[in-house]
Amino acid sequence: MKAIRHRLDSVLSHALVLLMSAMVLNVLWQVFSRYVLGAPSSFTDELARYLMIWLGVLGAAYVSGRNMHVAIDILPRRAAPALQLRLRQAVNWVILLFCFFGLVIGGSRLVYVTYLLEQYSPALQLPLAYVYLVIPLSGLIIIFYKTDDLLDR
Amino acid sequence: MEYIPLLVLILSFVCLLAIGTPVAWSIVVSATLTLLVSIPALPALTTVSQRIAAGLDSFALLAIPFFVLSGELMNRGGIACRLIAFAKTLVGAMPGGLALINIISAMLMGAIAGSALASASAMGTMLGPEMEKQGYDREFGAAVNITSATTGLVIPPSNILIVYSLASGGASIAALFLAGYIPGILTGLFLMVVASVWARRKGYQTGERSNFREVLRTFVDAVPSLLLLVVVIGGIVAGIFTATEASAIAVLYSLVLGVIYREISLDNLPKIALDASATTAIVMLLIGASMSMSWALSYEHIPQEISEGLLGITDNKILILLLINLILLLVGIFMDMTPAVLIFTPIFLPVVTKLGLDPVHFGIIMILNLCIGLCTPPVGSVLFVGVGIARTSIEKVVRPLLPLFVAMILALFLVTYIPELSLWLPSLFDL
Amino acid sequence: RQASSVRTVRLAHGLDVTHSVHIAMVRMGDDMARISGGRLRLEIYPNQQLGSEREVLELLQIGTLDMTKVSAATLENFAPKTRILGLPYLFRDREAAFSALDGPIGQELLDDGLEFWLKGLGFYDAGFRSFYAMEKPIRDPADLEGMKVRVMESVTAINMIRSMGGAPTPISWGELYTALQQGVVDAAENNPPSFYLARHYEVCKYYSLDEHTFSPDVLIAGTRFWDALTEQEKGWIREAAANSIAYQRELWALAEADALEKVAAAGVEISRPDKQPFAESSREAYQLYEADTTLARLIREIKELQQ
Ligand code: NA
Ligand code: NA
Repeated sequence: MKAIRHRLDSVLSHALVLLMSAMVLNVLWQVFSRYVLGAPSSFTDELARYLMIWLGVLGAAYVSGRNMHVAIDILPRRAAPALQLRLRQAVNWVILLFCFFGLVIGGSRLVYVTYLLEQYSPALQLPLAYVYLVIPLSGLIIIFYKTDDLLDR
Repeated sequence: MEYIPLLVLILSFVCLLAIGTPVAWSIVVSATLTLLVSIPALPALTTVSQRIAAGLDSFALLAIPFFVLSGELMNRGGIACRLIAFAKTLVGAMPGGLALINIISAMLMGAIAGSALASASAMGTMLGPEMEKQGYDREFGAAVNITSATTGLVIPPSNILIVYSLASGGASIAALFLAGYIPGILTGLFLMVVASVWARRKGYQTGERSNFREVLRTFVDAVPSLLLLVVVIGGIVAGIFTATEASAIAVLYSLVLGVIYREISLDNLPKIALDASATTAIVMLLIGASMSMSWALSYEHIPQEISEGLLGITDNKILILLLINLILLLVGIFMDMTPAVLIFTPIFLPVVTKLGLDPVHFGIIMILNLCIGLCTPPVGSVLFVGVGIARTSIEKVVRPLLPLFVAMILALFLVTYIPELSLWLPSLFDL
Repeated sequence: RQASSVRTVRLAHGLDVTHSVHIAMVRMGDDMARISGGRLRLEIYPNQQLGSEREVLELLQIGTLDMTKVSAATLENFAPKTRILGLPYLFRDREAAFSALDGPIGQELLDDGLEFWLKGLGFYDAGFRSFYAMEKPIRDPADLEGMKVRVMESVTAINMIRSMGGAPTPISWGELYTALQQGVVDAAENNPPSFYLARHYEVCKYYSLDEHTFSPDVLIAGTRFWDALTEQEKGWIREAAANSIAYQRELWALAEADALEKVAAAGVEISRPDKQPFAESSREAYQLYEADTTLARLIREIKELQQ
């Protein structure tokens, strides 16, 4: 499992760097096409927002894998070590269950509905299902990380 | 009034936070549970997913990753240190010099961009490490950065004032923009007073007074870095790019300069981009989660019902304004600014206009008030950014935040009860 | 606590509470309660509280919300036939527009949503859209040459501006004021009440009433909600909606006149250019839809209706 985890970390970090670079280039192109070419691009605004969704949600998975999300751990830190461990497990379960029901099930339904109803984005005519696909995808990745965390102890 | 959703929301949220669940997950889980009370499971879960995506679906948000990224590049590329070296020769000898530099830069930055998040990320990344090097508490530095970043929301240009204008049914945007200057600067000044008192008490080291030659030398050194501000401000003023686009230009500029200074090599870039992505993602999950929380609150009419109940108490102008301020402070603690403005403007504006308040004045009161909320846990996007960038924790930042809140609240009360602070400038332009 | 036989209808939209559509919706709520004898209760969420127009349509499909109002431009990404409503100079005037929209053609457009789980209930008036600019009046399509014109997020709108010679720049409505002020775009287009309410007249001093598109607002229910209603309930809602639409169209006329008066008082130069050159220069926007037999047929039918 650890090997898969490392592999996943590495894939995610490459994806994030790619998304970030694409975002910067996209917005620079927006300025360039409008100011230098005098022909404003009609898709950059939309593309930027969709890249943002992907970066944010996929990034959330990456950050979950490294336990970097901000928490208020005033109480847990004062608890006895045994209780601390239990609390940590409880938190992992909360995240795991939410990711399953909220992100994987809810997100898949969102993808399904927008796919079924052929919803396309206004400028790029990109199926919105592709944009939303990142939600169940990240849900699955976080479930993997949290399962690994739970089995770890 | 429907109490069950409210009860579910508060109880689940408090419990989740107490066991140490990360804030973003606590927010989104309790919002989900609240929705499950009144909406069938599948639509409720789908809605939560949609709100997370919708929360990130905004071009203006791009300023966050870009200013984080350009901040990182400025740090490693030798831009920030040259800027700070120059600023230090100017105010370094004063108590809390770096904190003052942070606040002044945040106000300047606020005058360029309409986003407190951008300001918090840029200043936090650039000045945070430097402050620590000079012996400042990391938490104090973060607190100063967080609170001062919000001044940019009142100092124009400001997207949130435009949102308010729309929600108010037509308060003049030009008037709102002019009205924001004095309250924004006033807040900044109060923050500077508190920061320097705190720094003096803590005995943070102050630099030596610099002579003219040093000032000149650091200035010449800093010219290319200062040009960044000129490019960014100039580009916005000249209408070449928007404030959000300016953040991407800042990335390009700081990258090029960093390469010229030979402090950044292309091998470092992926690591820098990854760090910026991670910082961004922490913030983005919080924003997405807050969006689902706000949605649940609006859907259940929770904010309206609370405020209607409270306003039934009195019809004294001073008391009602006090009450509204208290309600908004409370709202700001739990809610993000944009939804709060959209929900509460139509509720409070008729009440205060009946009392003879100018809608422009009330707009400034409201934004200044909600600025405080942006810095308070559990839901405060600027707080999250500031804490995330400083790599510290929310509960550690709360203590140094408290005196700074006093400064912000004092400014808020002056602005509330002295309408001229907001309305004098617009009146000069017949607005 | 009322008996469970009371059905709450949740309607979310993006407009302010002073807008004619919102006022007419409040009347719709009163009517629903009256006609149904209190068995229907309309709950209105204004001001984008529950999301943008596109997002709320999605929530109708998801089944979380029951009704909404969106502009035809938003709907075109959900119900493809409604794309024709973004075409320039499709309707001769307001009467011609409503006689088409309130007849079988309008019904066909409303029914186009059914396949996508959206039940159209009728058209509110959102008037004609016209250009406003910062530097100079747009008297002729040639004035648009090289101008950066803000457009809605709609393929039809983008094509229309491009065919007229302008450079279409999609920017969200909320960011437009600053974009105009900073000169990121040179011009935009909308109906008089929106021009007035969004305060764009503070920045743009030239309003040219070329009236290029008649893009109505559409009242919509989600089919997940609609199909669960009894025939009687559907009847109540249809009646209340029809009353609300008739009332809103009266309010709109007043709002339009009032807005024009107010912006003129604020120093905006209002011009009424000859529409013919604009209509001719934007012909290209039609060509893109002529390959599509359904759209071509709808366009032909609308044109024939106006002969
Ligand atoms: Na600002
Ligand atoms: Na807060």
